[in-house]
Amino acid sequence: MARASQEGKGSRPGKELRQERYFGLKMWQYVAINIFLVFHILAISCWCAPISSPFIIGCKNALRPYFLWSGLFQSWDMFSPLPKATNAYMEALVLYKDGSTTMWSFPRMEQLSLTDRYSKERYRKFVETVLVDSSSPLWPDVARYVARLPEIRAGGPQKIMLVVKWSDIVANPDGTFARAPWDEHVFYSYDVKPEDLQ
Amino acid sequence: MKAKSFFEAWNAFFFAEQSPIPIALFRILFGVMVLATLLLLRADWMAWYGPHAWVSLKSMQAVEPGTRLNVFAFISRSDFWVHALFWIFLASAVSLTIGLLTRLNCLIVFLCLTSIDQRNLFILHGGDTFLRVSGFFLIFAPAGAALSVDRLIRIWGRREGAEIRPRNPWAQRMIQLELALVYFVGFCWKVAGTPWVQGTALSSILQLDELQRFPAPSWLMRPTMLKLGTWFTLVLEFALGVLIWIRELRYYLLAAGLVFHLSLEYLMNIPMFQWDVLSAYVLFIDAADLERFWNRISAGLGGFLGEPRTVIYDGGSERLRRITNLLGAMDIFGRLSFADLRDSQTQSKPPSKKARNEFLVVTRSGPLQGLEAVRSVAAALPLLWPVAALLTLRKSWDSGAKPNRKAN
Repeated sequence: MARASQEGKGSRPGKELRQERYFGLKMWQYVAINIFLVFHILAISCWCAPISSPFIIGCKNALRPYFLWSGLFQSWDMFSPLPKATNAYMEALVLYKDGSTTMWSFPRMEQLSLTDRYSKERYRKFVETVLVDSSSPLWPDVARYVARLPEIRAGGPQKIMLVVKWSDIVANPDGTFARAPWDEHVFYSYDVKPEDLQ
Repeated sequence: MKAKSFFEAWNAFFFAEQSPIPIALFRILFGVMVLATLLLLRADWMAWYGPHAWVSLKSMQAVEPGTRLNVFAFISRSDFWVHALFWIFLASAVSLTIGLLTRLNCLIVFLCLTSIDQRNLFILHGGDTFLRVSGFFLIFAPAGAALSVDRLIRIWGRREGAEIRPRNPWAQRMIQLELALVYFVGFCWKVAGTPWVQGTALSSILQLDELQRFPAPSWLMRPTMLKLGTWFTLVLEFALGVLIWIRELRYYLLAAGLVFHLSLEYLMNIPMFQWDVLSAYVLFIDAADLERFWNRISAGLGGFLGEPRTVIYDGGSERLRRITNLLGAMDIFGRLSFADLRDSQTQSKPPSKKARNEFLVVTRSGPLQGLEAVRSVAAALPLLWPVAALLTLRKSWDSGAKPNRKAN
């Protein structure tokens, strides 16, 4: 260190001094890391910013290919700005070729054991996504999967109907909440084809 | 002048060398989180990612278009290859956790983690996203510089000494920034919602049947408490996003964050999210404080590992020097001390031929040699407990076999 300081006083800084200046890194490494840091700090901040100004939207559009490719896409709007205010679950009504019907229920967290809730929580998230209208391209896949389930396939399924059942959470004037009566609606119907069961 | 001080602060923050122990601890916790995520998914690997999954790859690509880092898009669409990918992922996560080929395994784990996320984006929660993004920055971090098999290999190869060399923390800082951003952006989104500002959000969320885990205590369910809880969430998220960078407040905020996440873990069924986020808290703890904390634990637990032992070895033997260096690195509870026979303070005569080949372990109950010495040392080092167990088995086998031989 002392030697480095002495060399630093001279006209040509030594290798140690250069390393000290760049924190043990080569100059190109130091520069490259800084470019990486500045880019990612700005890009991630911009991507996550809950602002819809034209500038931010433009930046997000420019960043989208890189973020989607690298897996850096992210959103942190859990329960916000408005928390979900409906209890909902999904069932599949199966119509068999012999005219009989059965109701197949997706795993419902509130009916599972503590350990199953841990391993099956993905179904909660999946159902939440599937019930959104913009997920309609997924509905045929979901219906086909239900038709392929061993216990359903064995009975010869002809039609799969996806049913949503829901109950709104209603705010009372005193600040408490009440649950509205359950309602239900068939939101998708799928005719099973022979190749779906292959 | 201001620009100069900004650059100085930037360099001090990202580049001033520091102990790699916090990032190494994070690597271990990160690996455990990834393993837990994979094992929780185990029963549904095929249901979510197989060739006949709930959502086909084609539908996934149609709904969420874009070029994505996704191994599933390249492998053959058969159960075998999907299983193979998951087993490779699992093996790599184990290797990352123990710090074997750390950088390579970090890359593989990130690639697999990103792939399973990209393969089915509709089942992800915030914890998955946090793991993925922090996994990206972990690739660049010196995650294997401490508490790793890689370090033991370097010590054995004499490429590294007993001291853990400080490293540039820039990748660790990016994970810290990411965690702070999670809280701050969460705060910004919430503060834009009327239920959060009015204090009714928590009451509403606790009405969701699917999220309930254990029942909340009745005193907590009173409207006033729920309002306070909602506003406390806002304050805490802001503080953990912004005030966490103030050193004097940091540990108080981390403690509050820990209580907050554990409460959510109790109340709400969002498996792994709380643990995924909490795993990164270790990055905010100063290495010196971690060391102090560990010293307290090892002082308390060390006694259970038996009396202290002194390992006497011949420093002239390259093999023994390497072994003692390795033992020193594995001695996390400080149960061993080392004495070199060639050290002038240890003895004046040159060591005997036998002493040059093996080490001697001195305990309060007397000196031990050979396999007994190895067993005694292994019993003091948790990492070598399997060796100690094998040697104990062998000893009991030998003592049981001798009378039989006599009888024969």
